[in-house]
Amino acid sequence: MAVFDTPEEAFSVLRPVCVQLTKTQTVENVERLQAQLQAVSDSALQELQQYILFPLRFTLKTPGPKRERLIQSVVECITFVLSSTCVKEQELLQELFSELSACLYSPSSQKPAAVSEELKLAVIRGLGTLMHSAYGDILLTFYEPSILPRLGFAVSLLLGLAEQEKSKEIKMAALTCLQVLLFQCDCQDHPHSLDALQQKQLGDLFASFLPGLSTTLTRVITGDFKQGHSIVVSSLKVFYKTVSFIMADDQLGRVSEVRAKPAVERRVAELMVHREASWVKSTGDKLTILIKKITECISVHPHWKVRLELIDFVEALLLKCSRSLIESAGPLLKALVSLVNDESPDVQAQCDKALRCFADEKVVVGSRAFADVLSENLHSLATSLPRLMSSQDDQGRFSTLSLLLGYLKLLGPKVDFVLNSVAHLQRLSKALIQVLELDVADVKIVEERRWNSERLASPETPTERPWAQMQRRYFRFFTDERVFLLLRQVCQLLGFYGNLYLLVDHFMELYHESVVYRKQAAMILNELVVGAAGLGVENLHEKHTPADPEELREIVTSILEVYTSQENWYLVTCVETEDTGEELTVGWTGLQALASGAHSCPPTSSPAFSKPSPTVCSMNSNIWQICIQLEGIGHFAHALGKDFRLLLMSALYPVLEKAGDQTLLISQAAISTMTDICQACGYDSLQHLINENSDYLVNGISLNLRHLSLHPHTPKVLEVMLQNSDASLLPLVADVVQDVLTTLDQFYDKKAATFVSVLHALMAALVQWFPDTGHLGQLQEQSVREEGSPLSQRSASLEKGLENPTTAEDIEQFVLNYLKEKDVAAGNVSDLDNEDEEQSDPPEVEGNDTGPHVEPPLPVQIQIATDVMERCIHLMSDKSLKIRLKVLRTLGGKCGDFLRSRFCKDVLPKLAGSLVSQAPVSARAGPVYSHTLAFKLQLAVLQGLGPLCERLDLGEGDLNKVADACLIYLSAKQPVKLQEAARSVFLHLMKVDPDSTWFLLNELYCPEEFTPPHPSLHPVQLRGATRQQNPYSANVLRLLPELQ
Amino acid sequence: GKRMAAPAPDPQFTLRGAGSAVCALHFCSGAQGRPLLLSGSLRGLVHIWNLETRRPLAALDGHGGQCVTWLHTLPRGPQLLSQGRDLQLCVWDLAEGRSAVVDAMRLESVGFCRASILAEGPQRWMLAVPGRGNDEVQILELPSKTLVSCLKPEAGARLGMPMCLQLWQAESSPRPLLLAGYEDGSLALWDVSMRKLCSRAACHSEPVMGLALDPRRARGVSGSAEKALAVWSLEGQQALQVRGTHELTNPGIADLKIRPDSKILATAGWDHRVRVFQWRTMRPLAVLAFHSATVHCVAFDATGLLAAGSGDQRISVWSLYPPT
Repeated sequence: MAVFDTPEEAFSVLRPVCVQLTKTQTVENVERLQAQLQAVSDSALQELQQYILFPLRFTLKTPGPKRERLIQSVVECITFVLSSTCVKEQELLQELFSELSACLYSPSSQKPAAVSEELKLAVIRGLGTLMHSAYGDILLTFYEPSILPRLGFAVSLLLGLAEQEKSKEIKMAALTCLQVLLFQCDCQDHPHSLDALQQKQLGDLFASFLPGLSTTLTRVITGDFKQGHSIVVSSLKVFYKTVSFIMADDQLGRVSEVRAKPAVERRVAELMVHREASWVKSTGDKLTILIKKITECISVHPHWKVRLELIDFVEALLLKCSRSLIESAGPLLKALVSLVNDESPDVQAQCDKALRCFADEKVVVGSRAFADVLSENLHSLATSLPRLMSSQDDQGRFSTLSLLLGYLKLLGPKVDFVLNSVAHLQRLSKALIQVLELDVADVKIVEERRWNSERLASPETPTERPWAQMQRRYFRFFTDERVFLLLRQVCQLLGFYGNLYLLVDHFMELYHESVVYRKQAAMILNELVVGAAGLGVENLHEKHTPADPEELREIVTSILEVYTSQENWYLVTCVETEDTGEELTVGWTGLQALASGAHSCPPTSSPAFSKPSPTVCSMNSNIWQICIQLEGIGHFAHALGKDFRLLLMSALYPVLEKAGDQTLLISQAAISTMTDICQACGYDSLQHLINENSDYLVNGISLNLRHLSLHPHTPKVLEVMLQNSDASLLPLVADVVQDVLTTLDQFYDKKAATFVSVLHALMAALVQWFPDTGHLGQLQEQSVREEGSPLSQRSASLEKGLENPTTAEDIEQFVLNYLKEKDVAAGNVSDLDNEDEEQSDPPEVEGNDTGPHVEPPLPVQIQIATDVMERCIHLMSDKSLKIRLKVLRTLGGKCGDFLRSRFCKDVLPKLAGSLVSQAPVSARAGPVYSHTLAFKLQLAVLQGLGPLCERLDLGEGDLNKVADACLIYLSAKQPVKLQEAARSVFLHLMKVDPDSTWFLLNELYCPEEFTPPHPSLHPVQLRGATRQQNPYSANVLRLLPELQ
Repeated sequence: GKRMAAPAPDPQFTLRGAGSAVCALHFCSGAQGRPLLLSGSLRGLVHIWNLETRRPLAALDGHGGQCVTWLHTLPRGPQLLSQGRDLQLCVWDLAEGRSAVVDAMRLESVGFCRASILAEGPQRWMLAVPGRGNDEVQILELPSKTLVSCLKPEAGARLGMPMCLQLWQAESSPRPLLLAGYEDGSLALWDVSMRKLCSRAACHSEPVMGLALDPRRARGVSGSAEKALAVWSLEGQQALQVRGTHELTNPGIADLKIRPDSKILATAGWDHRVRVFQWRTMRPLAVLAFHSATVHCVAFDATGLLAAGSGDQRISVWSLYPPT
């Protein structure tokens, strides 16, 4: 297609078409014109602008009914011309504006004409294009007061379209056009910077539209969610842009109180608005109602882009109209802070940015008015919080708490003013305490036990926000984990911005006030400290810094003291008495019975016991309290970092105590607390932590041993400490062992069992720390290992002999061995056999400073072992059989000769004696006997004797004593269990001395005749060879095959 | 039912690791006013304990493994004086974490008598130590170590060896005085500059093991191997007068200290116990049963904290009746 660059060329081409259109106004002619226009250059078009527009405008102005299709094509053609040219004359601008607007106007009804959607769209676009094509200064003069009626007409027209049209396209176009008409277009072609006077003139003009504009837009905005988010977004934009322009504090500040006489005709002057104070006030009030409607509706709008726009909405209105719309500040801020935890990350980020902007700009902190509004909001929220927390569902709680969090964030350091009001602090705390109530009905918590007492596991890899981790807990009023997270954030913010002393005092009071509040108060206290240290707190107020470390340490110390005090740390968490092996206070069946009624938690009382037994609920509650306090200690460690090391002297002992607790949940919590401490204070592992702080532990252990009835778990702590430390602690251990033994001396009767396990742990530790230094141990091990000793040769050959037919050589060898052995027994040991004996070092010469009367002291570990064993000897005659055996197990495993002599001298006679004297009783007894204590005693002794004899490597005489005492129990008259146990004794005796056992058994009952291997030997006649069945036959017959 | 008696008081904490019996204690303050406790052990070590962490900061080895019987710090430096049974009196520089012997002097007597020091001015100190002769006390000037005087009872007085010393100068008087307890159980008041025995009182029938003086009220108390404490006064700073005796359950007092606020008296007992009295009335307040061997020494710090060192190698630290 040819292009016509010059106006002359273009004119010659366009003239016929324009003439034709002027004569005959048809769609075809318009289209022909438009087709020709395509070929005309922009510059030529600009020259011929008026000429080309003439036939088009003429068509519009021709009176009489017109076909819509024609008008539409004319408007589209005008739009085309305008989009390529500039309007340089004000008159043209005004006329075109009127002519275009009139296309949609129905003179009869004063309402938008019922025309086709296409036409509406064309006109709206035409208007928009017109406003964009006007020169800057022309455009500004367009907005003179005289235009007011026509402009108002267009605005209301567009508003009507935006509200009432069905087509989304038209609505959107109308809203965009409104934005252009009201000088709020954000396209680049539009002049942006207006001076203050121009702004004020425009504002004066637009103020007339404010009522209609704001109410209509509010209706659109708060309309059906289904109308599509873009319409709401655009409406919001038009609303806040125009409102913030008309109500801008800057403009209003320049409005004089006295109205200047307007230089316009009366009709127009009546439409003009003077924005004096009273108008601002009343308009502000009306707008507040609308704004409140909008924010309430939009902050829960399902589409995130709408919520995102709301942030700009709030920001624009708050920043530009903080004075004129002060009444709206409440709802606006509320809308903003309610988006602080929005599910959309974009909204959250934008909201955060806005909040930061407000905090930075000192809008809140710097401006009293805003701070007052926020405080007021927080006040009223605090007031309704308890009610909301109990009446709302989780989603509602989430929104409410998000709002609370937002206020706190925004108020920042000013939170303090609100909290200084006792009434408000109380309401806030009441709500927190109420909503944080735990569900303690779960019976599993009490039931789950910790069984292994192995070394503590080392901490897992450190996590990024260790203070944010905690045990899963269950709340009475909500299940959503996010609600809990919010509550923690709220508490942390309170701790960060609030007066920590005041808050800690307040919640400490609640903690003390009632057991009903205690757990919640502790949870809150824990988070307050975390927040005060600035952990996990997102600070919008850069000048505010976390609490002073010294102060924080002081506060933590005081909370710690309360947590670990006697009445708050040692709570009943299980129905068992501490592991003394006594009977359960309430049997497991009893516990099950309690469990069935656990949901209602009735105060159960068992008639069998005078003391009311603790309910599952109260025990659960206690368990949780301890766990929460343990968790708090972990939090405190993170809050103080390395500074917490100084607190270990009081904190580590109680935590370690709980690490050994039988309730799984508690021991888990304690171990995770220790892990927290490790991380916070820079210890590699739990062992490292314990080892480095053993002096503090020992201090606690030694002091608590003085009041054992108050601190029954003390020995347990020592046990854990011993299991987790190394030889470097020997001096400390030596020191505390003295305390242990002294205490044991005082409590032989009650606590012996607990102590014996400590002593066991102690001996185990010593053996582990000093593996090869024990003189006795070495000799003992040697004797066991010496495979080539005559004794073991003997048994080997004997076994062989029993398997195969005996030959003469065997007998000869046996006799030779026997003689050699007899020799050894008589002390005639050959030199060759003696080479393993220890070299006797000359005794070390002590320095001159030690007098000759001073004995060289034993190595400390030996001294400890000796001390321990001396106590154990006493315990071997303890009334409780369990203790006796426990002691023997302790000693038997760890020390040989020394114990053997003591055992044989002191213990064995008693045990053997009791077995012998009790045997006739059990032989006569009926089935009920197995429920008696006497039976249990017999059984335990019989079961324990065998392993002991073997371990202690007893001599022949003592073995005989054991055998004699146990023989009677091989009688079939004895209860089956005792027979079984007696057989086990003999099985062990066989290992120690097979020959004499064989002989002994055969003396009881001899099932076969022995024919001598050689005729020159006499036949052997054993006493049991009567061939007659006796009460022992059955058991002897079962035992003898074991020897073959 | 349980007996609901008030539980026996517990130490606030215990310091372990002295390695042998604790024979001397002294509170002082270290860098940045950090509270420290110094202890001297039977095996010759001086331990410096940080009371904040309750852990030893250092162990000073300067007495050849022989018992450290007395410790005192001087404000300058700070410097530490330690007296040992190796017949050495060592001066240590402890400033900025140092621990070096900067000076030492040879002592003449091998007995158990602890030295006493009087700081007259910032740079001049007077030291009393048992002297060469059996019954002599030497007064030296520090840091010059010059012998100022030698206090020797008249021939025939038969006081025996000095057992404990206390130098003292009343505010009203320019003349330093020395209180000395002797082997025969008597207490003597010496005018140091006149080298004159002003007064003497037979307070005990056994050797005087320790004495404590309350300069404000010019009264003091002493303990001995016997089962009684003696309370005495200094009349006009001239005459010693026994005011009374206080019977004890068990014999043997190794050391006594009056709290700086003059309200509390603590005694270190051979019966393993520390006894606490109201000093004004001598009313017994508490028996601190914690140690498992003789308590050799007690000390108070400025805030009222009490420390006791014992043959069981432990130091117990107590916070009792805090001063108001």
